[in-house]
Amino acid sequence: MNWLPRKTVVVPVDFSSDSFAALDTAAKLAADKADLRVIHVLPELEPAEPGVIWQTIDDADREEHAAKALEAELLKRGHQGLAVRVCFGDPGHQIADYAEELDAGLIVISSKGKSALKRLLLGSVADRVVRLAHCPVLVLKR
Amino acid sequence: MIKPNHRTSWHLAALLLLFVSPAGPIHAQDASVEKAAPETLQEEAGELAQPDVPALPADSGSPPATPVPEDPDWMEDVDVFFGKWVVTPLYRVLFFDFWSDRWVPAGTPEKVTCPNPTCRHSHDVAALYPDSKPPIVIPCPDCGTDIPTGAKVPLVVLWLFVGALFFTIRMGFINVRGFWHAIQVTLGNYDKPGEKGEVSHFQALASALSATVGLGNIAGVAIAISLGGPGAVFWLIVAGLLGMSTKFSECTLGQLYRKVDPDGTVSGGPMHYLRDGLSEIGLGRLGAVLATIFALVCMGGSFGGGNVFQVGQSLEMVRSMVPFVDAYPWVYGLVLVFLAGIVIIGGIRRIASTAEKVVPAMCGLYVLASMYILAVNYVHVGPALVEIVTKAFTPSAAYGGFVGVMMTGIRRAAFSNEAGLGSASIAHAAAKTDEPVSEGIVALLEPFIDTVVVCTMTGLVIVVTGVYDSSRFPECAEFIADGKGAPLTAVAFSTALSWFPWLLTIAVCLFAYSTLISWSYYGERCWSHLFGHKTALVYKIIFLGFVFLGSIVKAQNIIDFSDLMILSMAFPNILGAALLSGKIRRALDDYWHRLKTGEIKTSAEMQKGIES
Repeated sequence: MNWLPRKTVVVPVDFSSDSFAALDTAAKLAADKADLRVIHVLPELEPAEPGVIWQTIDDADREEHAAKALEAELLKRGHQGLAVRVCFGDPGHQIADYAEELDAGLIVISSKGKSALKRLLLGSVADRVVRLAHCPVLVLKR
Repeated sequence: MIKPNHRTSWHLAALLLLFVSPAGPIHAQDASVEKAAPETLQEEAGELAQPDVPALPADSGSPPATPVPEDPDWMEDVDVFFGKWVVTPLYRVLFFDFWSDRWVPAGTPEKVTCPNPTCRHSHDVAALYPDSKPPIVIPCPDCGTDIPTGAKVPLVVLWLFVGALFFTIRMGFINVRGFWHAIQVTLGNYDKPGEKGEVSHFQALASALSATVGLGNIAGVAIAISLGGPGAVFWLIVAGLLGMSTKFSECTLGQLYRKVDPDGTVSGGPMHYLRDGLSEIGLGRLGAVLATIFALVCMGGSFGGGNVFQVGQSLEMVRSMVPFVDAYPWVYGLVLVFLAGIVIIGGIRRIASTAEKVVPAMCGLYVLASMYILAVNYVHVGPALVEIVTKAFTPSAAYGGFVGVMMTGIRRAAFSNEAGLGSASIAHAAAKTDEPVSEGIVALLEPFIDTVVVCTMTGLVIVVTGVYDSSRFPECAEFIADGKGAPLTAVAFSTALSWFPWLLTIAVCLFAYSTLISWSYYGERCWSHLFGHKTALVYKIIFLGFVFLGSIVKAQNIIDFSDLMILSMAFPNILGAALLSGKIRRALDDYWHRLKTGEIKTSAEMQKGIES
């Protein structure tokens, strides 16, 4: 279905099955597979983490690991060949920024179930993306 | 210029405290009306001490260390509130002693003081019972109140000791049979390329050590000896040796249930193994509850033993050396807040990295300095050893009897080496290995280095030089009475060389700083586990608030609070680990079998195999 003529669709993936389900939905919506962009956001490292203290892990390393793991996972789920982006920081901001940078036409995101306590304190990533994004956001209820 | 600052510092601290405690200033004022809390605090302070220690004045719970406290009433209100609603309830549960002072004799005291707050009369025991031995509970001749003269057996200390004994037997004395293998694994002789994790075995051990080697080794041991006498050193070592098995068990679990994220980073620790491990054996609900309790008390421990205690005791050391800091202790607090803040909030990694890397070297230097003092006093070493062993089994009323000495030693050992508290497994989970048991075996070196080597050195130096005996060193009486452990150790060091205390001061500051940084990481992990990674900044700000509090508040109940929080981590952790002990034992037996049959090869053997 040519829902959005040649506009990029951004799909955040956090390795949960919900987020891959969102990717399936996005694949149906996009005109072409080449318009799909997958983004994975990693938290910043803690300065007192053992790997940081001993300088055995760094962001470049983590990016490489995560991209590799994501590509393997995408291959398993039949989404090979998608453009993958790995960012660091707050997921809500990074996703919205990435979509803006691409001038994306849509963000497809699943509203993930968190514990009541964390939801109260944090809200969900989806809430934040809706608030910050400059383009339409499709929030999939699980 | 200075005065207004001073005032602000007190207010800031008080505000922070209120921020942390759930209720507002109205309650704090309520509590100040009823002066019930200091009484219970006294019990704590006098615990294990001889019964004839003169009772502290009722409001001595918060003598401010600063020379000119501008607003002591305000601080005292908060202090009383804190004592009444936080420390006392916690104390009642954790240090519940089954009224053991009514059936465990502590020896024959010379004098007793009536615990009734309206009576408080002192009585000469020899005058009351001239010919026969006095009973464990003496009725006060004036008001009839029972005066217990026995030793206390606090629940948490018993729990730690029984736990350590259980793991030692359950794991077939792994602390002995795994020792040599532990050294080999730490040296990297069993490393394989491509194993998952963040750091090498040695690096993981050093990281965990930087959290454990701190003021507990320098000040804590001095406190133990001033409360329990030389015999406490014996029980400290015994608890350290048994604690090796506990440490092995918890760190193996940490590795077994760690989570390796897609980016290659690792997270593990009691929060993970209590929840996931217990749900595996059908106790999912209990596991979730224990994991949450652990995360909460571990955050508390990171404010207390990993923070306030370190700052407070290192400050005592610094102020005995630097007159300026003695006059303005809050400056020391601010410096530490700044140095910790630029790392944990500012993200400047180099400082933390350097501080943690010098810990093993500092440890070595400290042990060498201690050995020098022992060498200078070589004639006293033999008698000191005899004294340590004999006093460990001689009931002395002054130190709370046989049981009192034992409890003091075990308590300080656990505080120092963290065996049974579960915190170290957070750091050990990061080790690069595919064999969970091998990291557990590396971890058992930790109580050995921390307690059996470093604490014993401090203990020997103090016993050999005799500074714990205020009849020989009258200048130390104040340190002993006020629980200022670090200066006591400094006096012991200065008997040999006058500049040694300076070396000690530098070591103490470094140990305190690296312990702060490491514990902030433990606490942050627990906070993230409960409230998510995004809000971790809140935790860090509270953490820095406590760093500052540690430099200005001298209140006994805040230090007691740290002791309580850090030791209470043992409840969820040891319970969970004991329930999972079958799993650890199976993993250990499997590993040991493969090691003995040569299936697990050293790196050198593998290299040979590839070449041939």
